[in-house]
Formats: sequence, structure tokens, C-alpha cells
Amino acid sequence: MATEWNQAGEDSAAGTDEISATAITSEPPTTAGWEQAAVAVNSVLQLSIPMLMKMEFDAHDPLFIDFRYRAFAWSTPLSAFPEDAVLAGLQTQPTDLEAGLLFDLPGQPLDGLLWLIGLNSFHGARAPWLAPNERYKLSRWPNLTQHRHTMRQMQMLAVLGNAYVSAGELADTAGVDNSEAQSLINALSLLRILKRSVQAPAAVVAAPQVTKRESLFSRLRARLGR
Amino acid sequence: MNAAVHRNPAVISAASLILDEMKSVSSSLDYAALLTDDGFDIARLPGETDGARFASMASSMQALGDAVTHELKIGDSEYIIIASAKGYVVQLRVPSHPMVLSALFDNDATVGSALAIARSFVQKMATLLTETASREPEMTSPDSGKNL
Amino acid sequence: MAEHVILFTGPMGAGKTTAIRAVSEIAVVSTEASNSERHLVDKPTTTVALDYGEILVDGEEKIRLYGIPGQRRFDFMWAILKRRAQGMILLVNNDAPDPVAEMLAYLDDFRELYDRGGVVVGISRSDIAPEPTLATYADAIALAHAGKVVPVFTVDPRNNDDMRMVLLALIANIEMRALFATVERDAI
Repeated sequence: MATEWNQAGEDSAAGTDEISATAITSEPPTTAGWEQAAVAVNSVLQLSIPMLMKMEFDAHDPLFIDFRYRAFAWSTPLSAFPEDAVLAGLQTQPTDLEAGLLFDLPGQPLDGLLWLIGLNSFHGARAPWLAPNERYKLSRWPNLTQHRHTMRQMQMLAVLGNAYVSAGELADTAGVDNSEAQSLINALSLLRILKRSVQAPAAVVAAPQVTKRESLFSRLRARLGR
Repeated sequence: MNAAVHRNPAVISAASLILDEMKSVSSSLDYAALLTDDGFDIARLPGETDGARFASMASSMQALGDAVTHELKIGDSEYIIIASAKGYVVQLRVPSHPMVLSALFDNDATVGSALAIARSFVQKMATLLTETASREPEMTSPDSGKNL
Repeated sequence: MAEHVILFTGPMGAGKTTAIRAVSEIAVVSTEASNSERHLVDKPTTTVALDYGEILVDGEEKIRLYGIPGQRRFDFMWAILKRRAQGMILLVNNDAPDPVAEMLAYLDDFRELYDRGGVVVGISRSDIAPEPTLATYADAIALAHAGKVVPVFTVDPRNNDDMRMVLLALIANIEMRALFATVERDAI
């Protein structure tokens, strides 16, 4: 029983009425921003069963995600990612591996979208699926050649790659605001490349002779114009 | 595609011939090798030794020699001499071919005579290779993989 | 002048010479020789000693970039260059027959650099060969070297921005690792 949403081009004028009757969940529209999308995507990733998702927006074409192939399709390029997009509707639908395609493969790699959704949800607050009193460490780095990122984020990734830290500890070590640290943690958690631990003790940091101010990293970064 | 130069039987014979002749005119020659520019051993004397590592090292030396002379803007390196207490290595390119001769002489030979011998034999090698190529054009043509 | 030395490693044809040329601020010193094995790797020349480039960080500080010759028969050069370096950028081609195995072999060959400093892995030609995926590389590293998180990125060695980013990630990682490791070492 292959059920598929119509492609964006075919139902651009319609709202949710034209979506297949077997769509399972449908969320009512909320305020601008990506929180709702982030929670929904995280829930689907949690389930690890083949799923499809459709997001509709006030000012953009619908976005389709096919979790089977870790791919999405959207006419808005990620380089123009709208941080304050108003979500008008969101539906998820279970599928199976034999069911037809939602859009032509390969589509775009899902990680690129997860990175941006993760960074732009919750405005620097902790994502609701994360717990307080946790420390985090990378299980692997995100693919930075494919994700627009700042040097502060790279600095934070270097911390997270080498020690278990809380959001606050990350902010202190990397010399950034708590909200920046938390946003990155949210994004990495959505990408599923973050280990979480309540037992891990605070990492001990060496004496301040290796401070950010004096680091080769910051000097090289200045030299390379970033 | 050319089969690898250092596995071409005609080239290997030519190289062995040259090294044998070189040994016959210089009793101070302890070791000599002909190698490709990129460090593959073609032939060496004595023949039973494993020339692979030496060939790689000699090619690195040759390339570094050129890097130094180019950096100093004095042209290509003509020869390299490494002197030690027990002998010296003389190394230079075979003209017009991507090959190097590297030879170890003991201290009975003077540097000057060793160099003269090495120079004359790389010239002979070049001539021999050219003659061999004209007899067997497949050796250097793009289709040398075909049967003769 | 304070100096830092970074090594570019990886198999022949992965793009080491190209990558150094992309980031070096000086004309790169290279030691190319005519490739006798064109039937195996289709490049006209190959590095037989080293590549050398530099980045001048400011008047007082320099980063020296060395590229190794990729073939194993030049491993005496690896030994010479390894001693000088603080970290390395390991490049592999994703369209090679077994790039994950090659990566693991080079991590082993340059184990001291991996232990002492830092490593970043760059996967080239993933646009031509999308598999293995980055996750596969990361899993292989985790399996072989438990606990170590090595950045693995897809890169285009010709791309200035990519290679600069890789260099920055390497240095950030080396410095952070030192920051967290120092106290452990003192405690022993």
C-alpha cells in the first residue's frame, strides 16, 4: 500500500486537504520558527522506522523528508535557509522500504537540514529531548565542508571531540555565550553524533597558559581571514 | 599504456650490460644501480643484492638535489656526491631518459676519476637505450603492451 | 620564530601535493618524478621525496607543510618527516578499491603523530564515489582506536577553502587535545 503525498508542484495551491487520507499525524500550525519541526524530526529519528514527513510553510514550498534514504527535497536552497519560517502544517506518515519514492533520489542529504534546524530551534535554550545535568562528547564530527559554520563552532567542536562537557562548560572553555553552546549541542544531538552522559565527571582543563587568546588557532584564523 | 620501464627486459639487459662494463673498468666500484626517476630498481651490481630500498632513496636524493638547485636558481643538479669515511656515492641522471645512475666507490678511487667514469657510463647508457629503442620501437611507444 | 609542522599523508593519488598547493602561501617546493607505473595510477608524475609549503601566520610564526610521497617504498622519508611534525592531514580517495583500509594503514604508520598531536582525515572524490560514507570511516576509526574522535570530512584538495578549513580544524583539535591531556599526563 504505497501512499504518497503529491509532489510540491502538483498541489502548490492546496492545503492539507489534498494529502492522502492515510497520513497519520497532523500538527496544527504554531508560531514562527523551527521548534515544532525539530521536535517532530527528533521523534521520528527516535523511532527508527521508515517514515515520511511533509512540512508546509506560509511563505515557502513544502519540504519533504524521506527518512528511509536520509534525504529531503525542498525548492528553498539551504544557503537561503529561512530562520523565521512560519510552519503552517506538519505531517508524518509511516512507510516501508518497498513503497514508492516521495521524490527523485538522491534528493539532498538530510544532515544539512538537521544541522540548520538544530541550530535555529529553541533560541539557545536546551532542546526538550535533552536533559539537565548532562555532559556531552562527540561520537564523530559533522562534515564541516558541507555545513556553513563559524570558527567559534569549530572551536566548540574541538572541545566536544576531546572531553565530556556540559553546555555551560562548553561555553566557558570555548569562550562563547551559553546560548551558542546550547544551539550547537541541540544541532549535534539532532544529527545523532553526540554522546550523552550523566555520570561523566567534569573534564579537567590545563592551567590557563593555553588560553584562547594566545592559541595558534585564533591567530591562524585571523590570518586566513575568517 | 607503457609497461613499466623497470620491468622491460630490453631495458634491464641494457642496464646490466652497462653496469658490468663499468665494473670492469673500475675496481673501486663497490655498488652501482640504475633506477627510474621515481625510484624503481632496474639493475644493480652485485646482482644478488636487494636494490629496492636503495633505488627509492637514490631517487629521493636526486629530486632533492634538483629542488635545491632550482631554489637557488642555478639550473638542474648535474651530479650529487655523498662522501663518507669508507667511500662515496656518485649519482647523476642518464641524459634524455627518466633514469639515474647511482654508484658507490671506495676510497681507492679519487672523486674526479669516479665522476669521470660515472659520466661516461650514463652517456653510454643513453646511447644504448636509444639504439635499443630504435630496434624495438614498442619499448617506448604507447602500445608496448602488445606482443612483439 | 615559532614553527609548527603539519604533514600531509595518504596513498598515492589522494591529492596531497594538490592540497598543499591550495593552502601554501609560498610556491610549493615539490620533488616530482616521471611515473613509471601509469598503468596502475594514471598520473604523469609522482612525489619522490616531499612537498614543502608554508603559511606565515604573523611575523613571528610559521606553519610548515610537508607532503609525504604516498608509496610505501619511500617510508624512510615518512620516518624523517614524522619526527618533525605535530599533526597530520590524511587524504584518501573515496573511489579507491578499499579506502577505509588505506586510511587505517596510514593511521597505523603514523601512529606517533596520531598519539602525539592530531589527525584530520579528508575524503576526496566523494562526489564521484559516494560510498563508503563518512560514518563508515568514523566507525572504523572508533573500532581500531577506541575513544579517539578524529574529524573526517569530505574535501576537494583543489579547493582553497576546504583545505584551509581542514587545517584550522586540525589545529583547533591539537590545541584542545593538549588542553585536556596535559593534566592527565601530570597526574600519572
